[in-house]
Amino acid sequence: MEVEKLISMCTHCGFCLETCPTFSVTRNEVHSPRGRIEAIRSKIESYGLQTCMFCRLCETACPAGVKYGQIVLPFRKRNVKQSLFLRSLESPRATYLLLKGSQKISLKEAQRFKEFTKGLKVERQIEGEDDEPEIVLFPGCLEGVLFRETVEKALNFLRKRYKVKIINGCCGLAHFSAGNIEKAKELASRLGTIKKPIVTLQSNCAAHMKEYKELFGLEVEVFDFAEFLIRKGVDLPRKEGKVTIHYPCNAYRKGLTKYVVEVIKKMGINVREMEDPQFECGSGGDYWITHPEMSDKVREIKKTKIEKSGVNTVISTNSVCSLSILRSGFKPLHVADLL
Amino acid sequence: MSTFKLRVKINDVSLEREVTRIVGEEWVITGQERELFSYPAFLPLKVTPPLVVLPGSEEEVIEIVKLFKSKRTKYLIRGAGTSLSGSTTPTQGEVVISLNRLNKVFYTQGLEITVGPGIANLHIGKFIDSDVFYAPDPSSYVVSSIGGNISHDSGGMHTPKYGTTFNSVVSLRVLLPDGSVEDLNGRNLDPLPLFVGSEGTLGIILRATLRLFPKPGISRTLLAAFDNVEDAGKAVVEIYKVGVTPASLEFMDKPSIIAVENTQYKANYPEAEAILLIELDGNSIQVEEEMRRSKLAISKCNGRFYEPTSEEEKTRWWIGRKGAFPSFAYYSPSYLTLDANVPRSSLPKILEFTYAIGRKYSLPVANCFHAGDGTLHPLIGFNSEDRENTINAIKAAEEITYYALTLGGVPSGEHGIGIEKLKFMPVYYSSEDIEVMRRIKESFDPEFILNPCKLIPPKEKECIAVGEIHKHLMEVD
Repeated sequence: MEVEKLISMCTHCGFCLETCPTFSVTRNEVHSPRGRIEAIRSKIESYGLQTCMFCRLCETACPAGVKYGQIVLPFRKRNVKQSLFLRSLESPRATYLLLKGSQKISLKEAQRFKEFTKGLKVERQIEGEDDEPEIVLFPGCLEGVLFRETVEKALNFLRKRYKVKIINGCCGLAHFSAGNIEKAKELASRLGTIKKPIVTLQSNCAAHMKEYKELFGLEVEVFDFAEFLIRKGVDLPRKEGKVTIHYPCNAYRKGLTKYVVEVIKKMGINVREMEDPQFECGSGGDYWITHPEMSDKVREIKKTKIEKSGVNTVISTNSVCSLSILRSGFKPLHVADLL
Repeated sequence: MSTFKLRVKINDVSLEREVTRIVGEEWVITGQERELFSYPAFLPLKVTPPLVVLPGSEEEVIEIVKLFKSKRTKYLIRGAGTSLSGSTTPTQGEVVISLNRLNKVFYTQGLEITVGPGIANLHIGKFIDSDVFYAPDPSSYVVSSIGGNISHDSGGMHTPKYGTTFNSVVSLRVLLPDGSVEDLNGRNLDPLPLFVGSEGTLGIILRATLRLFPKPGISRTLLAAFDNVEDAGKAVVEIYKVGVTPASLEFMDKPSIIAVENTQYKANYPEAEAILLIELDGNSIQVEEEMRRSKLAISKCNGRFYEPTSEEEKTRWWIGRKGAFPSFAYYSPSYLTLDANVPRSSLPKILEFTYAIGRKYSLPVANCFHAGDGTLHPLIGFNSEDRENTINAIKAAEEITYYALTLGGVPSGEHGIGIEKLKFMPVYYSSEDIEVMRRIKESFDPEFILNPCKLIPPKEKECIAVGEIHKHLMEVD
């Protein structure tokens, strides 16, 4: 649909405002979904278009079903550093090399990376496949490098039941969010050829890949890890403990976070709900690198919401979310870490 | 009252500089982005303000108001920008002061909470104990600010039992246009009640202490379906007659039901020409008895009643009702929402009239409203890109409101007069009434610089008409 047509559906009610992380921290219409749509409608230059974290939680609150993402996407501008970072995600080897290298560079962005990955080891991704694999495990671009142990656990758990092939790489969500639709499409096409069920450890990648059809006309059978466990009725071990659960934004919008909650509860783990679990973690893809100030303000709010739960262990099924949660002093755990 | 020499020029550099000194550069909007503040949720009219300021503290607001007083600068206060009557459309070149950043919770204890005006209604619930609740719940509660709710005396679904915002305000700290701050508590001749529903024309709410109610022990839902609108209207009256005070009593007509069933709010309501959605709350013995009496009343009016078979169904029914307005996009993305308030006994008459008007102007009309307190919400679809069509919709709306007044109704139950319903003021009120209102306005705002030309119908040539639509809204037919 044309942008004008999509915009005409917005009735300016403002129901989206309080779901928006950048409105929440600035309280300024300029940095709100309604403000951004209005800027595009009236064809004006607005800084607000560049501050969107692209969590698209506004779409969950919109009573008129306005497709905010599709409206603002063409108006997002990329900067050079952002493009470089995104390029590195396109090949697993480049991702590893960049993350490894960033530990030694004194660039502002690299410093920030170091702060956020403190205590984590940068490792090479696991590769390999069983004979005649039945399913594909897609860890996601950062997971394999920064949370290799989680990938190992997931792989071992799945291999007891299925023949598995690992595919490392990027689903293209980061590129899509940054407005680089062509690259996003190219990356999607790479995964679009897979004819076997794909299980990903990134809830937001799962959500994005479920939209391949609507966005690019590509059909893949994709499951978020927790969704796969529930829908295939996999037996889960009993565990003790107390956690709170973060809902990654895209996954929440796509209705995938309910599976994470179900898995945790089925394992008998005590869940203390945090305030607005779907509220943006502060990462926003590569936003935490490109917009450090705004990202930190959002992370502060998220921190308060997590603190109110009274629990330090946070279930986070998306690696960039885990980095923010870690940076705020909590202990992020993936569902796979509990298996 | 002289008014017209007071316009702010967009290129008033010194004003901009001084405002920046008070709030900091980040919180002053001077460029094209001013357009983002040119209208709230009242769609027919957009006017770009000369300047937008977003103060971050009470002290900053006070300093700005003192500055504007010294410069005789016109200004208005904007909250979340959800006004449906255009009360925050800067028609007279007003600077917009946005109070969204004043969203602090100062104090909460027992059955009271003290907050800043910029906090969203929804967020109150996050700061209070789980056994109490803040009752006013306008449909926009997820975003509309407490300051705006108070200024419009907002209602919502829970008014039949808990009243409008007026009944939930304990005290207010207001900033007057002369820069002085007053703490009001409504006792004796204290003017607190004037500020509730004054639509931001008398002063600025800096702080509000709100009343909380203990949460009822139980809450049950009853749905009544009718084969015609008239029976549903009669049942509303009958329910009260048998001694039931529902927590909510909502009405939906067939066009509303069809819209809801075709959107994300799909509720699977039973087949009917009209339904009533009823919530009864309190202690179990009382609720049981109210259930029994409500069912009798519904049967007496030829209605069928249904109880939800699960929590999920109950939630779905209510979400359907909450989604009824936005679902109107099924007919037309732009629509006017009227809110005349009529005696409950005249509901069948006015509903039939709304459909006749829809046919007359060939515009889609649906009715979904708070029947419990008689606040109507006829929705009228129009094409906001088409000026003639827009004016037709406004005319249709006006015919309905006029008719509501002849039935003993009031022009606005909860959305306010703003600019939208100015012409109904002289119809409903006598010229003496309006003169008293002008005198009240004058005593608080003698310079006529705070949100002028709203709520009180302007005298001839007192206000600038910005375009044909605004002119039509201000003219008495």
